[in-house]
Formats: sequence, structure tokens, C-alpha cells
Amino acid sequence: MTMETAYAQALWKMVEGGLTPAKAVRALEVTLKVHGREALLPRIASAFARIAQRETKRSDIVLTVAREKDIHRARLSAKKYLDGMVAKSARGGSALGRDLKTQIDDTLIGGWRLEGKETLVDASYKNQLLALYNSVTRT
Amino acid sequence: MDSATVEKIIKEIGNIAPAHEGEHVGRVVAVGDGVVAIDGLSKAVMSEVLVFEEGKGKRLAGSMEAQGELYGLILNLEEDGVRATILGDTARVSEGMTVKSSGKILSVPSSEELLGRVVNALGEPIDGKGPFKKTRLMPIERQAAGVIDRKSVSVPLVTGTKAIDAMIPIGRGQRELIIGDRGTGKTTVAIDAIINQKYEPEATRPICIYVAIGQKESKTARIAQQLREQGAMDYTIIVDAPASAPAALQYLAPFSGVAIGEYFMDKGRDVLIIYDDLSKQATAYRQLSLLLRRPPGREAYPGDVFYLHSRLLERACRLSEEKGGGSITALPIIETQEGDVSGYIPTNVISITDGQMFLVTDLFNKGIRPAIDVGISVSRVGSAAQTKAMKSVAGGIKLELAQFRELEAFMQFASDLDKATADRIESGRRMVEVLKQKNGQPIPLEKQVAALYAAGHAFFLPVRVNKVTEVEKQYMDFLDGQYAKTLASIRKSGQLSEDDKKALNKAMEEFRLAHAESFK
Repeated sequence: MTMETAYAQALWKMVEGGLTPAKAVRALEVTLKVHGREALLPRIASAFARIAQRETKRSDIVLTVAREKDIHRARLSAKKYLDGMVAKSARGGSALGRDLKTQIDDTLIGGWRLEGKETLVDASYKNQLLALYNSVTRT
Repeated sequence: MDSATVEKIIKEIGNIAPAHEGEHVGRVVAVGDGVVAIDGLSKAVMSEVLVFEEGKGKRLAGSMEAQGELYGLILNLEEDGVRATILGDTARVSEGMTVKSSGKILSVPSSEELLGRVVNALGEPIDGKGPFKKTRLMPIERQAAGVIDRKSVSVPLVTGTKAIDAMIPIGRGQRELIIGDRGTGKTTVAIDAIINQKYEPEATRPICIYVAIGQKESKTARIAQQLREQGAMDYTIIVDAPASAPAALQYLAPFSGVAIGEYFMDKGRDVLIIYDDLSKQATAYRQLSLLLRRPPGREAYPGDVFYLHSRLLERACRLSEEKGGGSITALPIIETQEGDVSGYIPTNVISITDGQMFLVTDLFNKGIRPAIDVGISVSRVGSAAQTKAMKSVAGGIKLELAQFRELEAFMQFASDLDKATADRIESGRRMVEVLKQKNGQPIPLEKQVAALYAAGHAFFLPVRVNKVTEVEKQYMDFLDGQYAKTLASIRKSGQLSEDDKKALNKAMEEFRLAHAESFK
């Protein structure tokens, strides 16, 4: 891990830990000054942006269905899992509306697929048919 | 089928409403050279198997055509993700792909069904003879047996090579390194040891596992063919990770081999495993480690390359009777460059094993084959396992050969030799001839004893040096025909009784009279 990434990660953790962004940046600035590393600041900013982008991707929850008309039914079926994922979110329940994205993928045939917060729940018909096919042909 | 029926089927499937398990997943952020960086998978553990989800966005028919599942193996746990190696074709992995954690440590299937088969480093059959029906999964990484569970080496493993069985004996549960430059006959010695096991009674015959690491496919195919022709494939399994296989599979192959062997050892069977060769495995591991950005050490190998080999070779052992009494005998092979045994990997493996046999290019080029330099070869625990019969005839051979080599060197400067010295040189020359052996022709123990007994009793002294091999062969045929009972008695008892000695003395006398022309 490069030095700027390490500083950027520390900055991210400070803010996640409850410190206001202004205070966190100020603390970082002081530390850099003490060690004579102010020149790193622009690179730390880039590294911080990369972490933020990665974390945003991580916090996304994507519900994929085969047809648009299935969205409502899928939301109901997936509620149990959605609640679990939202609980994991640092921003809590309010995050649901912001983080949940819906996608249409007709290759799923039917059912739904929920992915986010390092969890995947695949309740698509395609997945079930594939599992059936594999169990029949590959044993 | 009309669309209404299709809709009906889809609705029916929907009604089944199976319970869905949430899977722990990550996402590929970078891929290259057989290594992937994965974001997520924060709960994954080291050596866990990952499954790459290739079907996303593909139609069902396309997913069904996929060539089996693609697996990965976690080798690095990092702050913001994991790094894993792909156990298959790297081209099948793309950025953004979902990776599922399996919650399982890598295992290979093992059972009696594997005997006579060729499998890859993941235990999948690659010989076109179809899948295995009933197997048990054995973990690739397993803690070696502890001190309490072990027993000292006491049962011989006869290799069928006179020079080895007489001077560098190997016991079941031992680890004996075969080391030498390329083209000195290392693989031949190991393959002869496998072939020789056909002379063992079926109940005590070791299961043989040949692990080919980074070898040419043609060489492995030739070995499989040779074993098949000699009838040795019935009790042999070949684990093949050829030079064309990804580095990850070459690194894993020896562990797969020993995991398969442990299945048989746990059942109380003896196993002989050959790693051909560990230098190539170390090279594959170095490649992986550098790609995983682990700090390089001496010769660019990672810091844990010693542990790589020690944890593998420690799994070779002889279990106590309480644990079933099974054993794994390991014959690792190391290739040296220009006879340099002071390299990093050779010295590591020499220090781990219970002895080593050096094969030397000079001897090989002189026609002395197997080209074992007995002066620097050693077996640290094997003498405890040597049969009494072999001990009684092989006791002085090593010393005699050492003296012969010194005198032979001295002879280059001295023109006039006294009779005792000349006799010793003549005897040494014949002993070297007796120890020569053609490849693929291992000799059963009783015949080795008979040949060495004869050599020790100056039987070959009147024979011209270039005729010794031929006379020895005729003598063996003679014993086979006329003294089969004596040979059987030596084999059965493992001892050379007074009656056996008398019979052998008589046989030598009779043979000498019958072939007087060879003894002039």
C-alpha cells in the first residue's frame, strides 16, 4: 500500500468514526506538517476519491428482475434480505431509497436477484434451472 | 410449446418459492497473469475456494454450455479485499465479475477409483475415462501427523535398484531426495521404484502416486504408457500439472498428490509418492508470489518457500498402529544446475528430507547407470528398515566402492601396483558393473541379495569386466531355473539363512563349472 493510500484510508476511517470532515482534514494536515509530508496532499486527495468511489459501489444494492412488471413483487419477496442489507449500512434505514437500484435483465427468465453489501441472493429462474441442469449432468 | 404453456411453467416454478440463501460475494477489480484482485469478501478465509460467476448477463443456453465452474483460491487477505489465483483459464475472468465465497478449503476427491487414472491438480480426471462415482474429499492443506501419532521407520520399501537397496535403503514413511542435473536419470530411478512394487504381495503393496509438475505432456504420457505396459498402473495414480498448466495448478499439484495419498494412509495402506519435481513447484510458487506482490527474498523466492516444502514433506510419515499403521514414503526430485547443490531450493529440501541420492552427470556419461554417487548419497533412517538378508550382503559395499574410487584416482599417477591394491581395483571395477542396471528393469530383492552375495564372494573376479553384466544375467536366469526355492525362501523370510548361503555357494560352483569359458 502506498503512503498516500494509507493516509487516505486513515482519513476515511476518521470520518466514518464520527469526526467532522473539517476536523479530520485539519488533523491530517497537522500530521503531515509534523512529518514534513505536505507534498503528499494532492495525491492523498486522489486516493481519497478512489476510496469514496469504491465505497459507493460497495454500498449500492441492486435488485435485478427479468421484466419491469416484476419489480413490485420482487421487492416484496426480497424484503427480508433487503432489511438485512440495510441494517448493515452505516446510514441505516434511510439508505434504502437512496442505495437500492433496480435493473432489468431478461436473461434471468423470471424471479429476482439481489446484490449488495457483499451479499448475493439469486432467486432467478435461470439460477434454479442452471442448478437443476448441473445436478443432473455433472454428477 | 406455445407461450401460454411457457407462462404456466414459469408460474409453477414461481410457486415453488424455494428458500434462498444469501451468498457472500465480492467483485473482480483487476485480473492478470492468473491472479485476481477482488473487492469485498471481507469474511473470507485463507485458502478458501472461490467460484467465479460467469453466467451473469448470459442466456440460459449460453450458461449451460460453460465448461464447468471456474474456481479461484484465496492466497492473500488484504485490508480492502483479497487476492486470489485462478484455478483454470484466466481468459474466462473479466473485471466486474461477481465472485462467490464457497466457505470451503480446497479439497480433492480420492478413492480406490483413482487407481490407474490420470488426474489434474484439482483431482479431475483428464484421461478421458469418465468421471469418478464415489469419492471422499480430502483437504489439500492438512496438518501433518504429530509425534504421538507417528512410529519410527521400520519396514523397507524395496526400489528394485541394487545401488539404492544395498547402500541407500529406503524405509516406508521416509523422505528421500533424488537430486541431480537434468538428464541424469532421476525420473527413471523413481519410476523403477514404482514398477518394482509389482513384486510386492498385494496386501502390502504400496499405492504409488506420481506427481508430474511442470513436465512436458509427452514425458508424462510416456511414463503412463510405460507403467501401463509393465502392469504398474493398476496401483498407480498420476497427478499431472504440465508446463502448460497455470502456475497455481503447478504449485498445488504436490499438495493434491499427498492429499490423495492421505486417503489411503488413513485406511492403513502404504503409499509411495514421487514429486517430479519440486524445483519447478518452487518456480511456480515464486511466480505466484511475485504476482501477489509478496516481498521477494533470496533468488526472488518468497520468504515462506522453505515452509512450502517442509509442510508438504512433513506429511510423509509412518503412522502408529493406533492410527492404522499406514505410511507415506516421499521421493521428492530436485533438479540442480551444473551439479550445484548449494542453491537455495536444493539446500532447503536436503535439510528437510531424511537423506538424498545424488545422480552425477560424469558417472552417467561413463555409462554407470543409475549414476548414483554413493560417496555423497545417504539415507538417514533407512538402514533401520533394511532386511537382514540385504544387510548381510551389503555391509561392506559402500566402503569397498569408496576405497576403489580413491585407488582408481591414485592409479593414474602410479605405474606399479602391489597385488593387494591391484586386486582391490579389479574387485571394485566388477562391483561397479554389478551395480549397473538398465532402466525400467527393477530387480526383486532376493535376486539383488543373490547378486551381491556372489559379488562379495569374488564370484565375478575371474570374469572380464565388460562381461560381468552378461554373466550376472545368465547367473540370475540359472538361479531362477535351478534355485527358485532358495530365492523364494530369501524373499519370504527376508533373511539369508545358513541353508540359503550353502545353496548359493553350491549354485555359484555349479554355474562356474557350466560356464567355465566366462571365468578364464
